[in-house]
Amino acid sequence: MEYGVYIHIPFCRQKCSYCDFSSIAGHEADMEKYTDALCRELAAKGETLSSLGNASTIYIGGGTPTALPVPLLAHVIQTVRAVVPTTNNLEFTVEANPGTVTLETMTMLSTLGVNRVSIGAQVFDDAILKRIGRIHTSQDIRDAVRWARAALIVDVSVDLMYGLPGQTMDILKWSVGSSMDLAVTHISVYGLTVEDGTPFAREKAAGTLNLPTEEAEEEMYDYLAETLPKFGFRRYEISNYARHDFLCRHNLGYWQDRPYFGFGAAAHSYHNGKRTANTKDVGAYIKAVERDESPAHTEETVTREKHIEEFCFLALRTAKGIDRQKFSESFGCEVESLYPKTVDNLKARKYLEETPTHFRLTPLGMKFGNQAFAAFLL
Amino acid sequence: MQTTHIRNFSIIAHIDHGKSTLADRLIERTGMLTEREMKEQVLDSMDLERERGITIKAQTVRLTYKTKDGETYELNLIDTPGHVDFTYEVSRSLAACEGALLVVDATQGVEAQTLANVYMALEHDLEIVPVINKVDLPSADPEKVKKEIEDAIGLDASNAVLTSAKTGLGVDDILEAIVNLIPPPSGDEKKPLRALIFDSYFDSYKGVIANIRLIDGLIKKGMELQMMATGKVFEVTDIGCFQPAPVEVPQLAAGDVGFIAGSLKNVRDVRVGDTVTTTENPAPEPLPGYRGVTPMVYCGLYPVDSADYDNLKDALEKLQLNDAALVFEPETSVALGFGYRCGFLGLLHMDVIQERLEREYHLELITTAPSVIYHVHTTAGEMIAVDNPAKLPPPQNIDFIEEPFVKATVIVPNDYVGAVMQVSQDKRGEYKSMDYLDTNRVMLIYHIPLSEIIYDYFDQLKSTTRGYASLDYELADYQPSKLVKLDILLNGEPVDALSTIVFSDQAAHRGRQLAQKLRELIPKQMFEIPIQAAVGSKIVARENVRAYRKDVLAKCYGGDITRKRKLLEKQKEGKKRMKAVGSVEVPQEAFMAVLKIH
Repeated sequence: MEYGVYIHIPFCRQKCSYCDFSSIAGHEADMEKYTDALCRELAAKGETLSSLGNASTIYIGGGTPTALPVPLLAHVIQTVRAVVPTTNNLEFTVEANPGTVTLETMTMLSTLGVNRVSIGAQVFDDAILKRIGRIHTSQDIRDAVRWARAALIVDVSVDLMYGLPGQTMDILKWSVGSSMDLAVTHISVYGLTVEDGTPFAREKAAGTLNLPTEEAEEEMYDYLAETLPKFGFRRYEISNYARHDFLCRHNLGYWQDRPYFGFGAAAHSYHNGKRTANTKDVGAYIKAVERDESPAHTEETVTREKHIEEFCFLALRTAKGIDRQKFSESFGCEVESLYPKTVDNLKARKYLEETPTHFRLTPLGMKFGNQAFAAFLL
Repeated sequence: MQTTHIRNFSIIAHIDHGKSTLADRLIERTGMLTEREMKEQVLDSMDLERERGITIKAQTVRLTYKTKDGETYELNLIDTPGHVDFTYEVSRSLAACEGALLVVDATQGVEAQTLANVYMALEHDLEIVPVINKVDLPSADPEKVKKEIEDAIGLDASNAVLTSAKTGLGVDDILEAIVNLIPPPSGDEKKPLRALIFDSYFDSYKGVIANIRLIDGLIKKGMELQMMATGKVFEVTDIGCFQPAPVEVPQLAAGDVGFIAGSLKNVRDVRVGDTVTTTENPAPEPLPGYRGVTPMVYCGLYPVDSADYDNLKDALEKLQLNDAALVFEPETSVALGFGYRCGFLGLLHMDVIQERLEREYHLELITTAPSVIYHVHTTAGEMIAVDNPAKLPPPQNIDFIEEPFVKATVIVPNDYVGAVMQVSQDKRGEYKSMDYLDTNRVMLIYHIPLSEIIYDYFDQLKSTTRGYASLDYELADYQPSKLVKLDILLNGEPVDALSTIVFSDQAAHRGRQLAQKLRELIPKQMFEIPIQAAVGSKIVARENVRAYRKDVLAKCYGGDITRKRKLLEKQKEGKKRMKAVGSVEVPQEAFMAVLKIH
């Protein structure tokens, strides 16, 4: 069996104003304790992983993995390499914040076998970067990409955001152009969602957020969907575009019902019909691991019904869509026999199209993906 | 028990003035229940009643009390519903008593509803025993409240019993006062039977159970009885009283309070206010005061899922078993499909029924805005009673329309008189009178359309008087008004379920507000949805719900599928609660939007 491994680093230099994800700022004293615990959790799982097969992808995400001092991050990577058996064509990604990397960081990553970096660029406009609470400038992004290349990491992805406060179409175009100049291999695009409890949610309530209009935001979405393919970036998933074969295989694993094992606070695992999640509380996580207790906080058995639903709505995020043969092999029935109304209805609304091998979302269907996904809940 | 040793009484109190707590203390003090059996507020047994802190169904309890001089008395406490919707039920409960405890909160003073019930008790010649409650609170001012009782009601309050139902202070004094001040019942058990039904409810084993007060005569098991108004004949199979659990007794005689059951399957046969007599020796005249049920407020109830239509019917029928005041008949709406037009005593009654349908029968319902009954006089000289705005005849066929008016009594601290006058005028109220209850509190009387009361009069009163105003109203008469039908069009199509009848001068204003509210409530859809308000063919307001631009979420953080699933489930749940009206998905709340505009 091949599987993915995810490692969560919950630290950030500073929390971005839109972020409601599991990360904490300004806890540098905890970093050493945390990485110790993380390595301990990995070591404890080593035998189980070996008995199951090899990891084909490893992904260190956050938070900001590169917020860790280089020796600590190196220690984590070395431990992973020592503990997790891997396939020959391993994809090993580390997320990096341009404000926290140097040539030294990239060299260390490359030397230890990391072959893909995902850089949180967001936008190439210093005023907006500051406005949204990022700790870097657009020059920092350029430097980060160049250093990665200097360290011989070929596969470089950038994250771009649209719908940011003060962002115009021109600023978005400039960001896309800048990414092209850097010859990145992969781009993830995210529309800003204002999540409850974030500084942006408070600003929105107070009326000071200055977001683009919905029409402007839609234009930005359309621009990205139309323009990126012209530059040779194939849209292989709703928010992900890749040149050539530089798809992110780790993220594809989530959409394609493949097993994965998560390590660290707030990390999720999916294996053997169960979804588990580690506690988000860094202190509680460290304590549990130190006592050799499981840091898992929630465990959910994926029933057959849930499995079918998830199989569909996750696969529909990908350009290929639902693999009809794989579906019938997994569940012993056809998609259209289980979802006759949904399939007809979504086809009539031009959200869904049928090929001999797949059911997939049309570009329109991708734009209203949530409605299509919700229709696959039984 | 000899009638000289029976006392029948009610408790009159404003909401929150401590009626239920006092009833609990009386039950506890007379040893009817051990402390362990004592649940908070024993008499309010329905969950809803307890949650809302009010009494919906009246209950009774027989207390056995040994006085200080050693005599044993039977005290029948007849609880009354505490809401203006149930005025008639209150009047029947009071008619079953010889006296009443008037409970007034020592920190609050007399309120409008209390006053209305006291007047009603006085009409029935009840002996009123003033009780001032919550005297243990630091802000209590019993002397001021006594003076208020004397000034506002004209009762001698010098001997008012001071009590704290919470601590139990003065409870013995109340029991003594009941025995000493309230007269014993005066009936004659030799005379032909006359028993007043003051409440009834449905028991799944025994059928309908009637709570009765015997005025004359005697009831024993096996007797054949007759309802004088409905004509229903039945044999008595059960006879008893509440202590507070039902206890069988061999007989009930003149002066007694208790319950009877027989082969009665339908609450409609057992009307509150009806007189029970024997078939063998019937009474020549029934007791006075019987009135049929007259719903004041109507609304449409529709299942969100049309497959639930039969379930809704079953549920309404079951509720009707226990609620003679609920009426319903099938109704069809172009927008909502098949449902029922239901009549209620008032807004609270409507709320309670709706909530029970949703909670106890798990129905997802759409409720249309409540309407009063309009008397529409056509040019052909006919009078049509219209309880549904959609059924209003075309304007050219209408000569004039009459609407129900109420006499509204508002009691408020004098600082807020101006606010009350302003609100009442805005609501088309006609000023009738103003009286000072004491140096600080004022009673205002207005003649005002019932539709305005249903709409938001009380909310407005409460908010402009910072919660100090108390309101009571009773139906006064029907009077002609300049009324028009306000229609709502969604995507160009009129939606009958959103039509309302409004005062003509306010139609444009209401139309604008309603359109704005609907714009907030109707979620974005794939296309732009114009919302228009129209009077006849004239559009008085227009708003737009803009089209959805896109609906997709990006990132899946570190494989957290559960979070994604939850978002989708929420989305699906939201859609379930929508009703497709033409091509537009309309949420349930939109149909009540008219109540939410100011």
